[in-house]
Amino acid sequence: MASAVYFCDHNGKPLLSRRYRDDIPLSAIDKFPILLSDLEEQSNLIPPCLNHNGLEYLFIQHNDLYVVAIVTSLSANAAAIFTFLHKLVEVLSDYLKTVEEESIRDNFVIIYELLDEVMDYGIPQITETKMLKQYITQKSFKLVKSAKKKRNATRPPVALTNSVSWRPEGITHKKNEAFLDIVESINMLMTQKGQVLRSEIIGDVKVNSKLSGMPDLKLGINDKGIFSKYLDDDTNIPSASATTSDNNTETDKKPSITSSSATNKKKVNIELEDLKFHQCVRLSKFENEKIITFIPPDGKFDLMNYRLSTTIKPLIWCDVNVQVHSNSRIEIHCKAKAQIKRKSTATNVEILIPVPDDADTPTFKYSHGSLKYVPEKSAILWKIRSFPGGKEYSMSAELGLPSISNNEDGNRTIPKSNAEILKGPVQIKFQIPYFTTSGIQVRYLKINEPKLQYKSYPWVRYITQSGDDYTIRLT
Amino acid sequence: MPPLDKRIKKFLKDSIRIAPKISSKGELGELRTGLVSQYPQTRKDAIKKTIQQMTLGKDVSSLFPDVLKNIATIDVEQKKLVYLYVMNYAETHPELCILAVNTFITDAQDPNPLIRCLAIRTMSMIRVEKILEYIETPLRRTLHDDNAYVRKTAVICVAKLFQLNKELCVELGVLEDLVNALDDSNPLVIANATAALIEIHNMDMNAVKLSSLIQSHVSQFLLALNECTEWARITILSTLSEYSAKDSLEAQDIIDRVTAHLQHVNPAVVLATIKVIVRNLPQIEYSSNSMIMKRLSSALVSLMSTPPEMQYVALKNIRIILEKYPELLTKELRIFYIKFTDPLYVKLEKIDILVRLVDPSNLKQCTLLLTELKEYAMEYEPEFVSRAIQALSQLGIKYAQESFVSKVLDILLELLERQDTIKDDCCISLCDLLRHCPENNEMAKQVCAVFNTWSNPEVLLQSDIAKCNFVWLLGQHPNDFSNLEPKINIFIENFVQEEALTQVSLLMTVVRLHSTLTGSALQSVLELATQQTHELDVRDMAMMYWRCLSMPNSEKLINDLCQSKLPMISNTLDKFSPEVLEKLLMELGTISSIYFKPNADRRKGEKYVQNIVKGKHMEELESMAKDEIANKANDDVLLDFDDRNDATNTSTGMLNTSSTLGDLDDLFDFGSSEDTPQINKDGSKTVQGLNSLNLNDNLNTMSTNNKNNNGVSQDLLDLF
Repeated sequence: MASAVYFCDHNGKPLLSRRYRDDIPLSAIDKFPILLSDLEEQSNLIPPCLNHNGLEYLFIQHNDLYVVAIVTSLSANAAAIFTFLHKLVEVLSDYLKTVEEESIRDNFVIIYELLDEVMDYGIPQITETKMLKQYITQKSFKLVKSAKKKRNATRPPVALTNSVSWRPEGITHKKNEAFLDIVESINMLMTQKGQVLRSEIIGDVKVNSKLSGMPDLKLGINDKGIFSKYLDDDTNIPSASATTSDNNTETDKKPSITSSSATNKKKVNIELEDLKFHQCVRLSKFENEKIITFIPPDGKFDLMNYRLSTTIKPLIWCDVNVQVHSNSRIEIHCKAKAQIKRKSTATNVEILIPVPDDADTPTFKYSHGSLKYVPEKSAILWKIRSFPGGKEYSMSAELGLPSISNNEDGNRTIPKSNAEILKGPVQIKFQIPYFTTSGIQVRYLKINEPKLQYKSYPWVRYITQSGDDYTIRLT
Repeated sequence: MPPLDKRIKKFLKDSIRIAPKISSKGELGELRTGLVSQYPQTRKDAIKKTIQQMTLGKDVSSLFPDVLKNIATIDVEQKKLVYLYVMNYAETHPELCILAVNTFITDAQDPNPLIRCLAIRTMSMIRVEKILEYIETPLRRTLHDDNAYVRKTAVICVAKLFQLNKELCVELGVLEDLVNALDDSNPLVIANATAALIEIHNMDMNAVKLSSLIQSHVSQFLLALNECTEWARITILSTLSEYSAKDSLEAQDIIDRVTAHLQHVNPAVVLATIKVIVRNLPQIEYSSNSMIMKRLSSALVSLMSTPPEMQYVALKNIRIILEKYPELLTKELRIFYIKFTDPLYVKLEKIDILVRLVDPSNLKQCTLLLTELKEYAMEYEPEFVSRAIQALSQLGIKYAQESFVSKVLDILLELLERQDTIKDDCCISLCDLLRHCPENNEMAKQVCAVFNTWSNPEVLLQSDIAKCNFVWLLGQHPNDFSNLEPKINIFIENFVQEEALTQVSLLMTVVRLHSTLTGSALQSVLELATQQTHELDVRDMAMMYWRCLSMPNSEKLINDLCQSKLPMISNTLDKFSPEVLEKLLMELGTISSIYFKPNADRRKGEKYVQNIVKGKHMEELESMAKDEIANKANDDVLLDFDDRNDATNTSTGMLNTSSTLGDLDDLFDFGSSEDTPQINKDGSKTVQGLNSLNLNDNLNTMSTNNKNNNGVSQDLLDLF
């Protein structure tokens, strides 16, 4: 597969590299920045896979870096290589916090060590940070007292090649706890009139496990995600804050919840689509019996994610009205409404409204939050820290436009559409704690450690937030 | 300034330390002294600094002997760094490497598995023959190590050794050990052994009997699948997709066993699983709404919430899978709507999938997509807008109903009013639509009315294809243009600067209209086309017209020639030929699936694989021969096609009687011989091009553009 992996700066010049095979010339990477700049000159279209002289340059971008893999064979698995590069960055982020030009330069020793371990002869090997940290430790450069001890300390954990390759044995925690965060991100595309063109819910179940030994966990959710079209319906909120479940009574609890939710009016059952599980989940068990069982890695990880594509009502809606008085000024009126139930509160709401590149002298009027002009993004940003359900806030802004327009075509009378003047849609960001849009609930999390037999407590938290694409299109 | 406590710490550390420090200047002299210092800490610092210089791209190979002195250390980290250095610079000092051999061999027996791995891994990477001579014992020992971590490293070393020295590898008999590793108790070892075998197979087809090995180990693979790391799963799944099941029962079993992996969080695992399922689908019975199809659909959809590079691979693969299973994903159109944050390369692929996916029998869906595409056409990225405009006409032609097409036409005309930069794309798309509804004069009038207002079309339009289309339209609807002659004259004036398509189109238009045009337009075009152009086919064409015009009853002949109707365009979406499609389905997830170039691999890879390609030539000759045959077959098809045209098209029939027949044949001969190298280089794509040619029909197609924008088919067009 990959013949070499490179970390390059924002121009494509190599910072650090590791060759895994000898089948490419040493100078192969020198062509990369040239390829990039050649392409940039021609067009905006830069695919993540470039070809030059029989070599394939596959790359991803992260902060100010290009991470490049050079491949000689067209039959190499591109999907695996891209995924590996992303995973590599993820592993490095766990070690270095931020992965950028400077941190690559400063930590070359540990990066070389990691590159040695995550890939061999171009074949990805071990990328589980929790295990790597067992034997590749950043503090290892402190000189050790006894050589023998040192040798024992850096052995590869036995579990590495076992079927449970993500958890070493002998973990102990004083308090045995497991935290479950259910995070739902909403992606939505709306028109200015409020019509929803596309909407989806991307759910993520994040676990922070602080459990001793080799615990076997069993998670019960209402996997036919009970989904209500009427979000104002107060009875359909997953119980907020912590849900503690007893290890033995979860079977008893099951019917009670189902019956309570069944009493709600107008429920549409929608099955969670494309569930995706962390590698610790026994997939065949889920396939056959629909039970989610797993031995968790220690610490934080994403247990599963799911997607629901269904039409939902906008949770935060903005009625944006833009008036362009060409060659003089632009007026923006915006009414934002939190269309969530009254008990809930949306927090950290950010509304980003695009304005022309050459706008200036902004004047604002607003009742809540804070409003500022962000010239580098060509937009105005309205921040509202706390936005209770059912409330409606409004603002208006006026910006000056240069009086002389650049393109002098006098006889053309057709005004430009907003889409051409305002580059991009209105983007909205928000968080709504203690609330899931899909209605997914954790029924139980059964923790069983066969040897230690300790009592443990799962904690569950729900949050809904905007995804990376919650936008209103201006036409 | 760092905080006070840190400064104090640093001060204390510095004052306690006796070992001299190495400055970060990285001068070779200083490094050399450091490397042989009596203080271990200084030596280690020096090694680090050396590696740092190496990272920066400076040549520190002259320090080789001094670094090598530090190889025997108990500090694991230092050992790793020295090994890294040795690996990089071994070739510069092959004679000194022998000094390291002893350490390698001792380390390969170290009680710590990490050190054993490190030693064997590094040793098999060093391209120095003397080192390789000593590899036998350590390699054999590590292949049978108790520790699975060591074994999984050792099996890969076999492949490395094979690449460096094939003869030695065969001689040592480690290939047998590698094959035995397929029966290892540890799934990770099995996966790596498989990967190594595949690598060896790619280097030399005859070294291992890969397919029979896969066949005999399918059950092991299926068992190991559930118990190994995500990367090992990808290897095993890819291997399974190479295997063809014996019967439908086995195929069904394989599908059942892998389906669970559609829910793995790693998108590459998902795609590899899809590949296995697609491979086995033809063998089992299923209906379009069966469970397995639903699972496939939702797995493909889930790939759309991955990083953009992965989405790119997924979209390209969806394009391939859709052609085989068009019923997949029909309900999932919205998933492919463009996100504001998508990178451009994802956006373009998404538009392609949208137009292919839309169900032409579903008016509601088509209308939805139409409004969506219109939005895209008003965005600001030029490439994106241009693709959206192309998609508009593709959608119109796909839906095929005149009222819908005229709706598309209205949108395009509206867009045309807005901006100057998109005139090219609109012009091409409009002409496509007109060619789809050749009988609809209303539409033609509408379009011509807009074009008629352009005072200087030669400047407004930039690309060759757009100009070619415009001139063609002038010829088709001369009565709808008020000042036809000046327009044509502008193009004639710039004849020499134009590219081939426009030249041909202009030539045909002028010949067609020669009786209505005044002045010497005809004469000057014919002269220009025979004397001032480097395009052979333009010249030949002009010669042909000239001869026809000088024949006795030229008027009738020319009229017959020009009055022949172009075939209606009924599809502007290009398709793979069945053979290419089957090959691509076998190569899902690979780089060749991104380029849609199946099998082109072997010839390309060869250049860079070292000294180990011997076995491949035979196979290559074979495939070249096959390509040749395919090429011939395609030529036959093309010629047959023209024969049929001859029968239906009286004008061409008359051509045959005249002396131009010879010219035509020359043209064809020339065309096919010119093709041969291209087809050898890239057989599949040409096949695709030829097929699209068949779609677009007949010689006269030249006057309109070829929608595929496919380089090769374009070349072919030029040739005819």
